Amino acid sequence: MNLKKARKRLHERCAISAVISNVILAGAVITVSFVVLFWAQYRSSAYNEQYSEAMNADIAKLKERLAFEYVFYDKANLTVYLLNCGTIDNVTVQTVYIYFSGNGTLVKVFSSPTLTYFNDTQIADQDLDRGEEGCFVLSPLSLETGVNYSVRVITGRGSTFEYTFIT
Amino acid sequence: MSTHSSLRKDLRKLIANTKGFSSVIGTTFMVLVMLVLATSIFLWTLSQNTEYFQSVKEKNQLEVDRLNEKLSAENVNYTASDDVVSVEVDLKNEGPLSVHLTTLWVLDTTIRKYGFNDTLNINLQPGEKLSIKGTEAIKVVIENADNTHVFSSWFITTRGNAVPLGKERGIIVAQLAQGIGSLALDFYNFKYFNYESATKLKNYPSGNIGFTVPASTYVAFGCLLTNLDPEKRTIVFDSHSLLWVIVPTSDVPHSTWWYIVNVAQDGSINATYSPISLAYGETKMIIFASASDLGSSSFSRQKTPAAGLSAPVFLLLHGDIGSTAYGQNLPFVALYFA
Repeated sequence: MNLKKARKRLHERCAISAVISNVILAGAVITVSFVVLFWAQYRSSAYNEQYSEAMNADIAKLKERLAFEYVFYDKANLTVYLLNCGTIDNVTVQTVYIYFSGNGTLVKVFSSPTLTYFNDTQIADQDLDRGEEGCFVLSPLSLETGVNYSVRVITGRGSTFEYTFIT
Repeated sequence: MSTHSSLRKDLRKLIANTKGFSSVIGTTFMVLVMLVLATSIFLWTLSQNTEYFQSVKEKNQLEVDRLNEKLSAENVNYTASDDVVSVEVDLKNEGPLSVHLTTLWVLDTTIRKYGFNDTLNINLQPGEKLSIKGTEAIKVVIENADNTHVFSSWFITTRGNAVPLGKERGIIVAQLAQGIGSLALDFYNFKYFNYESATKLKNYPSGNIGFTVPASTYVAFGCLLTNLDPEKRTIVFDSHSLLWVIVPTSDVPHSTWWYIVNVAQDGSINATYSPISLAYGETKMIIFASASDLGSSSFSRQKTPAAGLSAPVFLLLHGDIGSTAYGQNLPFVALYFA
């Protein structure tokens, strides 16, 4: 009796097509959902990475601090003595601007000056670690005597440090 | 009853109806995806922001610490010799934080040359005082630096502060001039000492400050002398230096003198004399006690004149200043013997 019923059901084409269509539909939805999930995760991790990089760069920038120990101008050479008094290593000097401190007129720009220790030995890694002192010489530079100038140091991480001196 | 059975019928029909099943799954998935992503991004961003604000807080704390650093550097003295400038200074940490000094910069403003000493490792606790003098003076190499030049200097701390050193002790013309000499006498600390025994001073080094001295008594005199030589040389007193008292109130003036002596911490007078040196800016109490020059004779005490006499006092100082001979007469003190 049961066998008969089963055989009858197998021959009912309408019902089978409904089940198959439902399974296919559900499968497609699940597949598409997973694709969407993975794509969204990929996009969000890319955003996370970008945000993280920006945030870490900002944090590193915050930790940077350079102190000007002395700035000395003599015979077309400007020597700038620095101390890394921040809380992060590897502070590099990217660009140095010299300008009149009165009206802000730019005098000269120097890129990536050579960092040396105070004893004139070149710093091998060209950066200042925490507590490290170093200096660089900007030359040639023609400055008027008895005038206020400012030296602005831009680090590799983008921090800005400024010092005013009289020639 | 019929309503209830019709509701049951409708529910059974609804469950049996598979249309829209995939939409339900899809919606559920989408909601889950959105929830998972939103939550993870929110939490992660929160942690990043916390990290950033922590850094801002640390940076602010460092700035506050840097601003709270308060160090005073007074009584500065520069001595130049053989291209080396020795800097003597009294330091006091007046701030609430400990201060670490790394570098001393010295600028010779006369010849516009500078030097530094970056080997310092001076740590000062809050309220701590430190006197850097004599052999502990900080040495900085500056070519052609001279004692007559004008210097300025500053310390660099590990927090990046620059601490300027106070101005060099100024020399007032009234204290010192070409017409007076390189030695200054502290007029208000002119002392005399009684004897405890034949060769030991009583109440040394406090003594008795005043200008009325017991008459006909064995006494010694103490004078506070400061070397204010404009060229900052050291002065060395030899055994011929003496304190001379003249009694003018008679037809023939009578003199009494007390030669320079060396005195131990307990007030004992040495039988022999070894030259006393006075560095630039240094103040020492020089004792005059011997009736004869200890360079050629042995020590014996000297008595003051008779009572009721007034007398001027002259300090006759003899020896060397730097590498040349030196002699100076310092007047100004008057005594009354009672």
